[in-house]
Amino acid sequence: MKLLYSLFSRRAFLNSLIGGWLAALGAAFISPLLKYIVPPTREPDQVSVPLAEVQDLAAGSVQGFAWGNKPGLLKKAEDGSFIAFVGVCTHLDCNVSFVAEKRRFYCACHEGWYDENGINVAGPPPAPLRRLAVSVEGDALIVKKQG
Amino acid sequence: MNVLRAWIEERLGLRAVAAFLEKKEVPRHKHTIFYYTGSSILLFLGIQIVTGVLLAFYYQPTLAEANASVARIVTEMPLGWLLRSVHSWSATFMIAIVFVHLLGIAFTKAYRKPREATWITGVLLLAASLAFGFTGYLLPWDELSLAATKVGTNLPKAIPVVGAWLTGVMRAGEDVTGDTLSRFFIFHVSVLPLAVIALLGVHLFLVQRHGMSVPLEEERKGAKGPVIPFWPNFAYREAGVWLILLGLLVTIAVFAAPGLGPQADLMAPAPEGIKPEWYFLFLFQTLKLFPARILGLNGEIVAVLIMMAGMGLFAFLPFIDNRPAERKGKVIAGLVWAGLAYAMGMSIWSLL
Amino acid sequence: MNERRRLVSVLTVLALVPFLLAGILEARNQDAPKAPGEQAAVKAPEQETAAVPRPPKERMAVYVLLAWVWLSIMVLFWLLRLRVREADRVFQMGLRRTAGKTPEGQGH
Repeated sequence: MKLLYSLFSRRAFLNSLIGGWLAALGAAFISPLLKYIVPPTREPDQVSVPLAEVQDLAAGSVQGFAWGNKPGLLKKAEDGSFIAFVGVCTHLDCNVSFVAEKRRFYCACHEGWYDENGINVAGPPPAPLRRLAVSVEGDALIVKKQG
Repeated sequence: MNVLRAWIEERLGLRAVAAFLEKKEVPRHKHTIFYYTGSSILLFLGIQIVTGVLLAFYYQPTLAEANASVARIVTEMPLGWLLRSVHSWSATFMIAIVFVHLLGIAFTKAYRKPREATWITGVLLLAASLAFGFTGYLLPWDELSLAATKVGTNLPKAIPVVGAWLTGVMRAGEDVTGDTLSRFFIFHVSVLPLAVIALLGVHLFLVQRHGMSVPLEEERKGAKGPVIPFWPNFAYREAGVWLILLGLLVTIAVFAAPGLGPQADLMAPAPEGIKPEWYFLFLFQTLKLFPARILGLNGEIVAVLIMMAGMGLFAFLPFIDNRPAERKGKVIAGLVWAGLAYAMGMSIWSLL
Repeated sequence: MNERRRLVSVLTVLALVPFLLAGILEARNQDAPKAPGEQAAVKAPEQETAAVPRPPKERMAVYVLLAWVWLSIMVLFWLLRLRVREADRVFQMGLRRTAGKTPEGQGH
C-alpha cells in the first residue's frame, strides 16, 4: 500500500495549503473590519475659549471647558494668568472636580487628590494631571497640547 | 492534539455529526447546480450579520440622527463606506440567490411529498428576507427611503377589516414618523434575525432529514443515479463557489458603493423617481398599472387581493401541486413559468 | 372529500365578500367630490452624500485588498480543484470509508 500512503500525504499537504491560504484571505477581510471597529478619535489640536467667558473668574477658581471629548479645567492663577489641565484622573480615567475650599482637585472614584497645580498629593493617582498650554490671542484663550 | 480532540469528543459527541456528513450524498444530474444555492444564501446571510452588527455600532435610529449617522459611517469611519456597500450589495446578492433557490425548487418540484414543510419554512424565510430588505431600506432615512416606506406601508390598508390596523402596526400610528424608524430598526436588527434563526434551524434540519431531493425526471429513470459524497467532494466544490461569489461581492461593493440621499423631510413632497428595491419592482409596476376603478371596485384593493391570492397559492404550492407527475403538475409548472415571465417583464418595464 | 371541497369553496367565496364590500365602499368614498387639491411643486433632489470621499491612501489600500482577494481566489480555486479531483478519484476507487482520515502509525 505504498501508493495509498503517498496519496494521503499529498492530501494532507493540499489541505494545509488550502487552510493556510484561507486563513490569509480571512485576515485580509478581517483587518479592515478591525480598523473600522475603533475609529480614529483625534485629540483637538487646539481649543479656543472666548476671553469674555473667563475674564470675571476670581483668582484661584476654576472653570471647565470641552477638550475634545474630555473635560478641560481652566484655572486662574493669583497673578491673573491661566493654566489648564485635562480634568481626567491619571489613576483610572474618572473626571476630577475642583474643591475650592481645599484648593485641590479631587477624584471621587478612588479618593485621589491633586494640589492646585495638578500635582498628585494623596490617594492612588500615579501622576500629575495633564497640563495644557494656554496663550492669549486677541479676544480668546487658546488652549493647546503642551510641548 | 489527539488528547484535545478526545476531550472535545467526550463532551460534544461530534462523531455523530461527522458520521452523518460522511454518509451524506448529493445526487449528480443536470440540475445539480441548484444544490449550491442554499449554502450560498447562508454565506450572504453570514456576511449580512457581520456587516450589520458593525454598521449598528455607529448607526443611530432616531429622526434627528439616522441620516447623519449613516453619513458619518460613510464619510468618516475607516472603510465605513465599503462596509455599508458590502451590506447593501450582499443583501441584493442574497435575495437574488434566494430567488434562484426558489425557482430551482419550483421547477424541479423539490417541494413534493414529503418536503411540504420544508417548502413552507422556505416561503416564510423568503418573507423574512423581503421584510429585511423593506425595513433596512428605511434606515438611512433619506428622501427615497421615506417615500418607498410610505407607499409600502400604505398597501395593507386595502385589506378589509384588518388593513388599517396592520398599517398602524407597521407605521406605529397613522403616519410614518420617528416611531416608525425605531420600529423598523428593531425589526431589522432583532425580531427578524431571531425569526430567521428559528426558521432556518427548522429548514436546515428538514433538508438534512429528507436528504437532497431528486428531480422527477431523474427519479423516473428508476435506479439510484450517480452521487457526489458531500464530504469532502461536494463541500470543496461549494467552497469554490463561495470564493467566486465573495470576490464578485467585494469587487462590486468597491466600485458601486451606494450613496446617501438628503435627510428625509416628513413635510416635503415626494421626490421624483421613487423606486423600491429591485425585488419589489414587479409589485410596484403592477400597482401603477391598475386603474383607479375596476368594475366599481377600488383598483388598489383588487391589486392587493390578487397579490395576496398569488402569495397564498404560492405558499401552499406543494398541496396544490399534489400530482406533480401528471397533467395537473405540468399545467402548474407552466403557470410558474408564466409567473416568472410576468415578474421579470414587469421589473424590466418599470426600469425603462 | 366532495363535502370538504364544497365547504372550502363556500368559505373562500365568503372570505371574498368583505373584500368586495370594502372595495365598493372605498370607491364610493373616493368618488365623492373633494376640494380641488393643488399640485405640489416637485422638489429637485438635494445634494447626495457621495459614498466615496476616501483619502487616496485608503483607496490604494482597498485596491491592494481587492488584488489580494482575487489572487487568493485564483490560487485557492486551483488548489480546491486539485483537492476535488483527488477526492473524486478516491471515491471512484471505492475508498470512501477512509476519506478524511490520514493513516497513523508506523511506516509513515
